[in-house]
Amino acid sequence: MKGLMIAALTIVVGSLIAIIGVVVWKGLPSLSIEMLTETPRGGYYTSTGGGGILNAIVGSLYLAFGSTLIALVISVPAAFALQDEYLGRTRYAGRLRLALDVLWGTPSIVYGAFGFIVMLYLGIRASLLGGIIVLTLLQIPIMIRAMEEVIRMVPREIKEASAVLGATRWETTTRVVVHQVAPGIITAVLLAFGRGIGDAASVLFTAGYTDSLPGSLFEPVASLPLAVFFQLGMPYPEVQARAYTAALILLVIVLLLSLASRALAKRFRKNILR
Amino acid sequence: MTHDATAAVNPIRIKDVSGFYGPSRVLDSINLEIPRNRITAIIGPSGCGKSTLLKCFNRLIDLVEGASYSGQIIVDGVDVLGKDADVLEIRRKIGLIAQKPTPLPLSIFDNVAYGPRIYGQKDRAELEKIVRHYLEVAGLWEEVKDRLKTPAINLSIGQQQRLCLARGIAVDPEILLCDEPTSALDPVSSQHFEEQLKLLKEKYTIVIVTHNIHQAMRLADYVAYIYLGELIESGPAAEVFENPKDERTKAYIKGVFLNDLPPEAGERSGSNPEDFGGRDEDPDVQHGRILVPGLSEGD
Repeated sequence: MKGLMIAALTIVVGSLIAIIGVVVWKGLPSLSIEMLTETPRGGYYTSTGGGGILNAIVGSLYLAFGSTLIALVISVPAAFALQDEYLGRTRYAGRLRLALDVLWGTPSIVYGAFGFIVMLYLGIRASLLGGIIVLTLLQIPIMIRAMEEVIRMVPREIKEASAVLGATRWETTTRVVVHQVAPGIITAVLLAFGRGIGDAASVLFTAGYTDSLPGSLFEPVASLPLAVFFQLGMPYPEVQARAYTAALILLVIVLLLSLASRALAKRFRKNILR
Repeated sequence: MTHDATAAVNPIRIKDVSGFYGPSRVLDSINLEIPRNRITAIIGPSGCGKSTLLKCFNRLIDLVEGASYSGQIIVDGVDVLGKDADVLEIRRKIGLIAQKPTPLPLSIFDNVAYGPRIYGQKDRAELEKIVRHYLEVAGLWEEVKDRLKTPAINLSIGQQQRLCLARGIAVDPEILLCDEPTSALDPVSSQHFEEQLKLLKEKYTIVIVTHNIHQAMRLADYVAYIYLGELIESGPAAEVFENPKDERTKAYIKGVFLNDLPPEAGERSGSNPEDFGGRDEDPDVQHGRILVPGLSEGD
């Protein structure tokens, strides 16, 4: 048994190190100030152009922050509504959880295809807005379910302690439960953000790709996952190296955000019984 | 124990109160008067229904899934069990100190200020005054005055319970319900808490549920003994403890004292089914009968 545990841990830690190692090893040589501050010259698919992938960095940040923000606004009330005091004890809650779990498990290419159909129907072309909408849909089930698990863990005694003072369930939710679940909500947001910023399939048809910086909500935007995808598919080693650089930048963004959210969660956690 | 005028005026009247968990009846037509500005102890073995009765007073029972009740509890002419009773106002007026200290996930200051804040007090200076006053009343001020902004969960468990007391009285209730408030506390903290309660009865009507007879003897002016959901006997503490009328009360009180003797010193009336007394400060040694399987007190 002990051997199995050690083997499992070795595989987990080993693959993490391998992934980071390969991305750094392949991506670092091409990483330069130019990469981070310039848009590509002469197209991302040629070896001769030069320039950077600022278009994809900015595009990804727009897409991910935009969709995370909208998803957060929708998910927080929904997750709180699934508390026992509200919908939690009704049969709708169970069905809603099932629906969310199915959505969570739905492959993102399906989201992309769905978004594509809707956009065709509405006559919208691939754009920042389209990407944000699809990524929002992708993130909502993750956020709601992750938040709801935390909200359900709030000890009943704490809610009762608030109720016995004459607080309404609304006051209990907004003044007590929120404090208890804040770290969990931050984690949920990070989880969804990570999925959103890293997803290539859902933005392929909906956000498109472009060599320029995002101009408006209705124009196509580039994104880091697609920068990886397209450049890696080119037969030139120089372009492939730029793909690894894009992957490295993506990794660093997610890592920085993880660290920031951990620090934030720690501040909120001080009042909570562990 | 003097049974003077103030206590007799305007008592809380419990009329025909029954309580159920699903189909099982855990309280059977309780009729009882609780005098004002006294400490009334509701005693009985674990699972006898005393916590359920307490939860009826402030309608906390509404939050328990599957629980229902009937009857009336009249406080100041209002039936708190009535359909159109204002539950929030009832809960403000009738505070509860839970068995396990439950600080809110906030600072010490914010815990005490929580109640006043939900009733609209926003003025910082006023809140500071309130917090200080009630922490003093609860006997905690000196210990925490330099760290009001620190998390309440960092307090010791005894301090947490006094914080809960301060938080409970900060909304200015008239009645304080205590559900085995010292059972999670060590003996020193328990004693400290009991002393605080004794000081508070001048101002509040206190109803304390306890399976600790010694605590009831130390604190109570009045006692009600509940067994298997039935009110067996009630009256002034001295009368009930020294001269119980009912055989079952007698057995319960006697059982406690027999259990207190070292095993070799006295014969144990182990064959007596009603002989399950509690030992001081140790709820785990209780041999109380659980009326509803899986539903013990304080669940």
